[in-house]
Amino acid sequence: MENKGMSEIVKGIARIVFPFIVLYSISLILYGHITPGGGFAGGVVLTGGFVLLLLAFGKEYVFHFFPLEIAKSLDSTGALGFLAIALLGLLGGAFFYNLLPKGTLFNLWSAGTIMLSNIMIGLKVSAGLFVAIVILSMARLIRTKEGLRYKQSGKEEDQ
Amino acid sequence: MIIYILVALMFFTGLYGIIAKKNIIKIIVGVNIVGYVTSLLFVLFGYKWDGIAPILTQDMNYSQFVETAVDPLPQALVLTSIVIDLAFVAFLSALAIRLFERYGTFDIDKIRRLKG
Amino acid sequence: MNHLIILPVAIYLGAGFLIPLIARKDEVLAGIAGVLFTSLVFITSLFLSIDVFTNGRTVYFAGGWEKPLGITLMLDPLSCLFLLMTNTITFIIMLYSTVYMKKFTGAPYFYTLFMIMLAGMNGILISMDIFNIYVFFEVASIASFTLVAFGLKAEELEASVKYTVMSFIASTMILFAIALIYGLTGTLNISAFMSSSAGLSTVHLWFIAGLLISGFALKTALVPFHSWLPDAHSMAPAPISAILSGMFIKVVGLYVLIRITTNIFITLPQIRIVLLLFGVFSMLFGGLMAYGQKNIKRLYAYSTISQIGYCAIGLGIGGYLGYLGVLMHSIAHGFSKALLFLNIGAVEYMTGTTEADQLKGLNDRMPVTTLFGSTGMLGIAGVPPMGNFWSKLIIIIAAIQAGYPGIAVLCVIVAVITLGYFLKLQRTVYYSRAEESVKAEAPKMLLLPMGILAVLVFISGILLIPGIRQHSLDKAVSVMENFSYTDIKTGDLQ
Repeated sequence: MENKGMSEIVKGIARIVFPFIVLYSISLILYGHITPGGGFAGGVVLTGGFVLLLLAFGKEYVFHFFPLEIAKSLDSTGALGFLAIALLGLLGGAFFYNLLPKGTLFNLWSAGTIMLSNIMIGLKVSAGLFVAIVILSMARLIRTKEGLRYKQSGKEEDQ
Repeated sequence: MIIYILVALMFFTGLYGIIAKKNIIKIIVGVNIVGYVTSLLFVLFGYKWDGIAPILTQDMNYSQFVETAVDPLPQALVLTSIVIDLAFVAFLSALAIRLFERYGTFDIDKIRRLKG
Repeated sequence: MNHLIILPVAIYLGAGFLIPLIARKDEVLAGIAGVLFTSLVFITSLFLSIDVFTNGRTVYFAGGWEKPLGITLMLDPLSCLFLLMTNTITFIIMLYSTVYMKKFTGAPYFYTLFMIMLAGMNGILISMDIFNIYVFFEVASIASFTLVAFGLKAEELEASVKYTVMSFIASTMILFAIALIYGLTGTLNISAFMSSSAGLSTVHLWFIAGLLISGFALKTALVPFHSWLPDAHSMAPAPISAILSGMFIKVVGLYVLIRITTNIFITLPQIRIVLLLFGVFSMLFGGLMAYGQKNIKRLYAYSTISQIGYCAIGLGIGGYLGYLGVLMHSIAHGFSKALLFLNIGAVEYMTGTTEADQLKGLNDRMPVTTLFGSTGMLGIAGVPPMGNFWSKLIIIIAAIQAGYPGIAVLCVIVAVITLGYFLKLQRTVYYSRAEESVKAEAPKMLLLPMGILAVLVFISGILLIPGIRQHSLDKAVSVMENFSYTDIKTGDLQ
């Protein structure tokens, strides 16, 4: 990988902080039925972690590990998983019915399908917001002779 | 009482941004502010003075919890409303980028080719 | 509990997320998937309407949670009528857009957004909470903003920005009204609100009613709030204009206004006078502004404003005839305006322009398209035996019987004006002499949906024959006239 991105200090700190961000977001998602948080908040924090990597290391490094096509597919998979959980509730009697056994209160494995729904929503929100931020920030306008024009995203050109 | 006056002030600031400003980025900021104000008003309607957060922990008495906790339903609805406003602002930002490419300016007085 | 009730929304949401997963680069596969899913939902809505029109209202409790705790879904004959009409028109337009979208890049994303918009529209029709209606109508609106800007030309983006910002103001007003409803009564369910709205003071009730009516009148494009419609509907691609003018305004705007005036705010009959005024101004404004338009799609958009004015007048008059006129007119106008927009889309597909000065002599070049176009134009102008004639007649008779003879005279004048500009359009664009008369007919797949819609425009009058009317429209009208929520028990029918 070429040396793009920010300085060495920023890269070093980003390397240290990123696993903690991922851990924090997973804890928000998984404990969403007991403490505040849930799928949406956890997904947004995870996207924040990816954006930190994008800013510190440059986009080729991030796309090497997490290409945009996989992000788009994960987005759709998360939504379809959520819909599948809702339709599975039909087996129990109604749409969105809470099927799985609800354990004792305040445990991790209580409240049936709510934890699975949180995981699906966290997946969808993080992948979806990542795609949106990448596409919005990859716009580069070039001033040509006919006026302004978009640089084709993905090509490497200097301004 | 004074809280509602402050909320109304914030709302009129955001509304001023949408109606009276010419730059489209400032209109987007106004949209953002009005979105926040609506969510804030919703949460404020469910608030009880000197109440606790509506989270049940293990060593709490149920009846005392029901009496002192803040209403949790508006907080769930505000979560939905925040996501919808996020979608609005993301879409308007993408539109603003594309508009700059086509018209060369962010000024909405000049973005006016449709007439009649 | 009829489990089919959740299927339209579930199928469309699943389709909206399945298409980017499997067909992101392949537009033929995406088109086939789109047609498959819309036909599935069309068949589901046929079954649902057979059930609802024979057995009455059906209630569904999502998640199994009973009435005060959970979200209830409900289909009664009024919403089932709109459901059936929406899914019919959607299926026809999906057949059309498999060919039309070849002119655009990024066609699989079109199908995705279209499915999500349809999921939102169907969701409004089955929900009974005011907040559920808000969430689904936001989903549909955001998808429609994106679809209006789909071609990414300069004018389309400008139209979309205007539409988005104005629609955001409407959403804010509606959300304020919902916050006030919750703050004053402590519940969001429509039935519980109605039973506890006797305790609210009149000022509060009027404020909530005013906010709700303004917000939804902006989505229906009634006259003080109409200025987004000519830009948005004229600059969108043709199938999107057809859905927006034909169904979106009716479902997102007119259906919710009907629910608000007839089911929620029964104690405020003055709302009807406000709607009557809006309707009269819309009718006159749309009819007069349509004369000076050079762009044909913009002319059709102003005609939409005028016809929605007729519906608002019918809603404002009230009574059996007024409500019958509203329902019949929305059905007939939906079919004929969708036919007109698909028609001008076919003309644009073959010739590349929609300006009236540049198109001449279309009858020599595309005779079948001209035939369908003339059917649609005569349909909207209200020539018998098409459905619009009967619905306008019903609204005029309702106005005379309710004691508003001036409004009836205005309706007749605007009907003559409508016929005037459509005849002028036919003479200058369709039946004039062409410069070169090379026959370039539109492709078959564009003609087939137009043919189906033309047949539907012709036969939509049969809904008023007394035998059929009793089973379908009368039940919907009786929902509007006397609604009672008190007998919604645990899923039993009344």
